[in-house]
Amino acid sequence: MRGALVSAGTALVLAGMLAIPLYLMAGLLPWSGLPADAWSRLAVIFAGTLRAGACAVLVAVPLGVATAMFTAHFCASRLRAWIKPSLEMLEAVPTVVFGLIATTTIAPWLATHVATVLALLVVVPALLLTGGMALGQRVQSYGWLPFWLLPLIVAVVATGAALGAQHDAIAIVPESPWNAVLVGLALGFASMPLVFSVAEDALFLVPRTHTQAAFALGATRWQALVSVLLPAAGSGLMAAALLGLSRCLGETMIVLMASGNTPIAGFDPLAGLRSISADLALGMPEAAAASEPYRSLLLAALLLLVLTLALNCLAEAVRERLRRRMHAVAGA
Amino acid sequence: MHADVALRTESLCLWYGARQVLHEISLSIPALRITALVGPSGCGKSSLLRCLNRLNDEIADSRTTGRIRIGEIDAHAKDTLVHDLRRRVGIVFQRPNPFPLSIHDNVAYGLRLLGIRRRSELDDRVEAALKAVALWNEVVSRLDESALDLSIGQQQRLVVARAIAVEPDILMLDEPGSALDPVSTLRFEELLHELARRHTIVLVTHNMQQAARVSDFTAFLHQGRLVEFGATDALFTNPRERQTEDFITGRYG
Amino acid sequence: MGRREGDGKIWLLAGATATGLGVLLCLIGWLAIAGLGAFWPLSVTEMQLRNGSALLGEIVFEDSGVIALRTSEIDRIGVAYRRVPRIDIVSQSQPADAITVVLDDGRRLFGRESTTSAARVFALASRPALEREVQHVNALDRLARMRLFFGNVGRFLATPPTASNLDGGVLPALIDTVVLVLLMSMIVMPLGIATAIHLHEQRSRSTRFVRSAITTLAGIPSIVYGVLGLGLFVHGVGGSIDQWFYADRLPVPTFATGGLLWASLTLALLTVPVVVVSVEEGLARIPAGLRDGSLALGATREETLWRLLLPAARPALLTGLVLAIARAAGAVAPMMLVGVVKLAPTLPIDGDFPFLHPSRQFMHLGFGIYDAALASSDAIRGVPRAYACAALLVAVVVALNLSAILLRHRLRERYRALEY
Repeated sequence: MRGALVSAGTALVLAGMLAIPLYLMAGLLPWSGLPADAWSRLAVIFAGTLRAGACAVLVAVPLGVATAMFTAHFCASRLRAWIKPSLEMLEAVPTVVFGLIATTTIAPWLATHVATVLALLVVVPALLLTGGMALGQRVQSYGWLPFWLLPLIVAVVATGAALGAQHDAIAIVPESPWNAVLVGLALGFASMPLVFSVAEDALFLVPRTHTQAAFALGATRWQALVSVLLPAAGSGLMAAALLGLSRCLGETMIVLMASGNTPIAGFDPLAGLRSISADLALGMPEAAAASEPYRSLLLAALLLLVLTLALNCLAEAVRERLRRRMHAVAGA
Repeated sequence: MHADVALRTESLCLWYGARQVLHEISLSIPALRITALVGPSGCGKSSLLRCLNRLNDEIADSRTTGRIRIGEIDAHAKDTLVHDLRRRVGIVFQRPNPFPLSIHDNVAYGLRLLGIRRRSELDDRVEAALKAVALWNEVVSRLDESALDLSIGQQQRLVVARAIAVEPDILMLDEPGSALDPVSTLRFEELLHELARRHTIVLVTHNMQQAARVSDFTAFLHQGRLVEFGATDALFTNPRERQTEDFITGRYG
Repeated sequence: MGRREGDGKIWLLAGATATGLGVLLCLIGWLAIAGLGAFWPLSVTEMQLRNGSALLGEIVFEDSGVIALRTSEIDRIGVAYRRVPRIDIVSQSQPADAITVVLDDGRRLFGRESTTSAARVFALASRPALEREVQHVNALDRLARMRLFFGNVGRFLATPPTASNLDGGVLPALIDTVVLVLLMSMIVMPLGIATAIHLHEQRSRSTRFVRSAITTLAGIPSIVYGVLGLGLFVHGVGGSIDQWFYADRLPVPTFATGGLLWASLTLALLTVPVVVVSVEEGLARIPAGLRDGSLALGATREETLWRLLLPAARPALLTGLVLAIARAAGAVAPMMLVGVVKLAPTLPIDGDFPFLHPSRQFMHLGFGIYDAALASSDAIRGVPRAYACAALLVAVVVALNLSAILLRHRLRERYRALEY
């Protein structure tokens, strides 16, 4: 009796989940009666989705993967016990909050400081690299390094912003204060924790005996990371990037609030855009059921679904392969 | 004890957090001989082994006092680079742990770390190392296949080849027999004798027969203390300490 | 000898880690400042302008060139802002006898007691309203302002908004969000637990399919769930219900429009994977010995499951619930398609039979942020209001997540002793 209930519950869940693609396709049948401009319009918002997603991925993936590499391999275990829940917390912050901060606080500032941001993107990593090469020898352990670097980075960014504010002439004028760069920053930071947690899982899944063996052969920590850990967990990092991309393409609130929602084609990262998800959020409540605009919105939703589903399936397949391989290694 | 000393510890103590694992271990490992570390499980044999090439550094909260001298080098001196030290003291773990790379790349791993890039030199030294562990004939046709496809016995010899490819002074083995079947174990013991011609070998084992069969010297550890150390024949036939006798006659452990 | 570590590169990785943590700290700090700052009582400033006139009001914005002042809102809320170039200002002062009359529709009127009385200031209002309170902000010391500040916070949490949605509190949005999430929990928990048990107990090809279906579908954008909710639930199921049961009211829709029921169903679909994953993980973490011990005593699989495993996994069930609630509370986009409104006239629960009205439209804290920030008629009031909502929402979500982390920790500790 209870067993039947359990099966019924599972079936219901499965039916609910499968209803999504089935409904979208059935809603579009027959494949006619779309407004004439449906396809060209879809192309524009699809391009907008890709432009915003690309900018966000450029922020989320390097940051997330680098953080995962540090946390899994270099970090003191007590600091690691703080970093993981902290980033989980960042992941839990509703995206509407990121959207709010992006559109009300960052957008007006970014409109006059694009050049400062670009300069900081170059200066901060360069400073870290040179600082590490100059001072790294004196630092015995890397375990707590982020703890010391945090105030340093904040200071550099603050000075950079102050310097940028002093120069009245605006070096780069964005086409719109709401643009792909703004979306990229906000969405990138919002999806960075997802990339981090998937990548960190993959790196941590590599048996410790691997790194131990590398150390025993005289590898430095960095060499052990590059020569053993990264090849072994490579597919997991790939999955992290794919999931991050999927998340960036489908996220709604940040894009809705920070992109300007103007359907502009092209590749200018400083121009406004309109994404599929924002288009759905804005258009769907107003479209009458089964009307022409409604159907073209369904078409857009189907495209978004297929896109993210494909990315997720790919990521899942890659992760499954990694899991099986690691299982074979650990169980040998 | 007439042979040269390859490795010497002086009053070595090890703590994990507040728990002391090793107490005042002073031990001189003779060069180009096989020394067995025996004792009941949990006596600190493996911890001692990991101390000797400072793999314990990787464990949070671990702390050592005392000295370790490897040849003329003080292992804990400020100017000693850990990874250089570790290359002179190879270690093979209980379970074979080949990297998920090809057979060739597994053996070449340490050589590449040394900065050897020339393909011909790499190939030569890989071949030499694989021949030294009597694996060459079995894998010569599939050097580019994954090392994970080898049998356990082959994997164990592969990780030994990986360790000796960088020509360490000392080779340490942590219970190398425990993952092998009896036949593979015997073959492996023969291999150890071969290796002892060029390397000082430290062997951790819980198997008394194995220690008696293979080693020249034996150290008996109990509860983190060195109870007795001497030539294997003498220690097994005529132990000085009561605890040693109890252990080798199988009264506990 | 003496190769060096890849120092610079390690610093880069550490820098990325520091950046992530820095973003979190900045975000929380800025939310606290901007969110709570919205409640701080502003001083009343008097300006003498170069053309001889004087202005009385609250400074709401200033930069190097201009000062923006909110003056008495005689007619409507949010229309009495004055941007004054700094060069036009002769002098600025904060007279101690200044009074602020706050009306119950949120309008603020300013005056000076030495020249006029509170009653006369109140009489200035061209559109009738009730007086809520008279404040003497300039005369207050820090402690008294603090009291005023906490009063403002309390009113924000415990009162409904004014008709303009620019002032007053967020209590209805809070209640609606809670009811929505509770309804969702009642739907998602049985389904999620059943699926997790199925996955845990049955090991066959079909469970592998179910599992990968759930993990892949978990990554579908939430807006797509919203499209499904609108198309399938609202138009499809809701439309049929209306035709069968409420045909006399058509064409006015009853269930064929966005409402609480459809929203909670949509959220339930969205959060099923979260519940399944965490319950299954909890079941898997129970040591095999426990289960074998029960089976060895002659219990059937089913008895073992209900008597032993499920009670033992209770913290995992709770974790799943908490994470699902946290996820649902932040899912704003799908709600925009299934019936969220900026100002709902009625609550979904009241004293009228059947007490819970699942077809009613509802307000939502997260949607309130979007609406106040972008669609408000008075941005100077709307943006701080959005930040206040955001601080509240993040506080709730962070608290939920913290408790989930603690729960998971407790579960892990409890069974550590049994692991070998």
